[in-house]
Amino acid sequence: MRKNKLLGTPSWAGWLFVTPALVLFTAVVIVPIGWSFYLSLGAWNGLGKWRFTGIANYLNMLGDTVFRQALLNNIFFSLVGSAVQLVVGMAMAVSLISIARFRNVIRVAYFLPAVISSVAISQIFVQLLSADPEGFINGALKSVGLGSFAQPFLSNTGLTLLIVTLVDAYKFCAIYMAIFYSALVSLDQDVLAAAEIDGANWLQQLFLVRLPLIWATIAASVVLVVSGTLRGFDIPFVMTGGGPGTSSELVSTYMYKTLFRQSNFGYGSSLAIFLVIECLLIVVIIRKAFSATEKTG
Amino acid sequence: MTSRLKLTTWLPVLLVAIFLVIQLFPVIWVISASLQTPEALARGPSNRLIPDTLYLGNYVRAFDTSPLLQYLLNSTIIAVLTIGLTIILAAPAAYAIEKMRFSGSRIVLNYFLLGLMIPVFVSLLPIFQSLGFFGLRNTYWAVVLPQVGFQLPVAIYLYTSFFRGIPNELLEAASIDGAGVFRTFWSVAVPLSINATITIVVYNFIFVWNEFVFANTFLTNDAIKTLPVGLNDFVSDMGRRDYGATYAAIVVSVLPTVALYLFLNRRVIDSMTAGAVRG
Repeated sequence: MRKNKLLGTPSWAGWLFVTPALVLFTAVVIVPIGWSFYLSLGAWNGLGKWRFTGIANYLNMLGDTVFRQALLNNIFFSLVGSAVQLVVGMAMAVSLISIARFRNVIRVAYFLPAVISSVAISQIFVQLLSADPEGFINGALKSVGLGSFAQPFLSNTGLTLLIVTLVDAYKFCAIYMAIFYSALVSLDQDVLAAAEIDGANWLQQLFLVRLPLIWATIAASVVLVVSGTLRGFDIPFVMTGGGPGTSSELVSTYMYKTLFRQSNFGYGSSLAIFLVIECLLIVVIIRKAFSATEKTG
Repeated sequence: MTSRLKLTTWLPVLLVAIFLVIQLFPVIWVISASLQTPEALARGPSNRLIPDTLYLGNYVRAFDTSPLLQYLLNSTIIAVLTIGLTIILAAPAAYAIEKMRFSGSRIVLNYFLLGLMIPVFVSLLPIFQSLGFFGLRNTYWAVVLPQVGFQLPVAIYLYTSFFRGIPNELLEAASIDGAGVFRTFWSVAVPLSINATITIVVYNFIFVWNEFVFANTFLTNDAIKTLPVGLNDFVSDMGRRDYGATYAAIVVSVLPTVALYLFLNRRVIDSMTAGAVRG
């Protein structure tokens, strides 16, 4: 590795170049993990004295019904959200490579929601789903004779989690479209032509040739989409605030409210530590799973 | 056989059409709604996609009744500071890691890449407390510094993979000609990396302009809020009273990124996917 080193550069120069970034990164990203862990081992509301309580906060999580609900919601949000983003992203990419013209214009149009802030996306959907004043979706349901389905969608505790999951997926699915599209268009045309000559129909070409060839891209996207959805926050927080009740509460929104609305710094910090460990653990597990299938397959 | 051939021709076109409608509809709807008079909006479901008139009153009221212009200015200043600082810190760091290869540089790179897996939430309270301690809450730095910290891993990752492509001979030629370490970096490596820099700037701009969590936590004064936070407050404040102005405010908040996107469309897509797919 060191053979690629530039001639005549002293080691101190390297450290000089890297230190400013290192200091800021450590201060902002790394130190807070230790700090949060420290805070998670005590009880504190920001005003009185910090009191050491050991792992009491972590034990409290076990019996906390809100936390349990938030965790279940989070699993739904991540699983359904990831599946929707990958499947829709792939469907968008595959349909795009199957048409003859306007591919670039359409790809640019597809990607629009990904450049808009999640707050704006959330507010637009809040308006579209609103019942008072009647938003577009309720109005449309009534005008096509499905008025019985019209309702204040974001007050329906049975729907809020699904809605925030889908709106979040809506904002990000075009990223996966773009990733899959560029992998698909860069495939070797000779291989595809050979498959066609061998009599493979369109579906066979897709599932037996194209998708296996971009398997590495798909695997990387799974890691990406899962770690993205595990960090979901903005859209649920803005659209429903986790409510009504705890119907769309995620661990991240619950943590945020515990920290900054209830000033329960100890318990909130233990939830933050839980999120870090969850993100690291799940990404490592997925990576392991993929490298295992690569070895056996 | 011919019917199957037909299916594979029209099915993708149909799918593309459906996806296009879904992806464009919300934005087109909000633009259209923002151009309708309050009377038209009050007449019933705001479901007409083509407004009767090009009414701009909603925009006038949105700017009049809220510090929208101030939010716009704050977002711009924060974006410029964040992007500038990210580039200034990331470019030399990546150059040192990839080209100077000092002992420990691999460890330093992996240390930075660890940051890609850390969710921002864990840093909120510690940074909130530190900003209070240093008296930086409700200043631009309150969101610039955390954002730069969390943007550094992606920027360093993109710069290192770019610098890998610059042949060492090119840089060594400069140093043989008498240029020192700094001169070589500044007058050879930096100009060569303009493409990587643009990618990182575009990626950062979209990210920073849309950032919500840090801004919502560390900025509580109206005078300093960014557009996403201001928009959120505006809607909870005015959303129940003035729908037209709400739609207008939403449009104003998305306009800068959409405008950039219309100019640099493929570049934006490439930047965002490059920033997303790392390692």
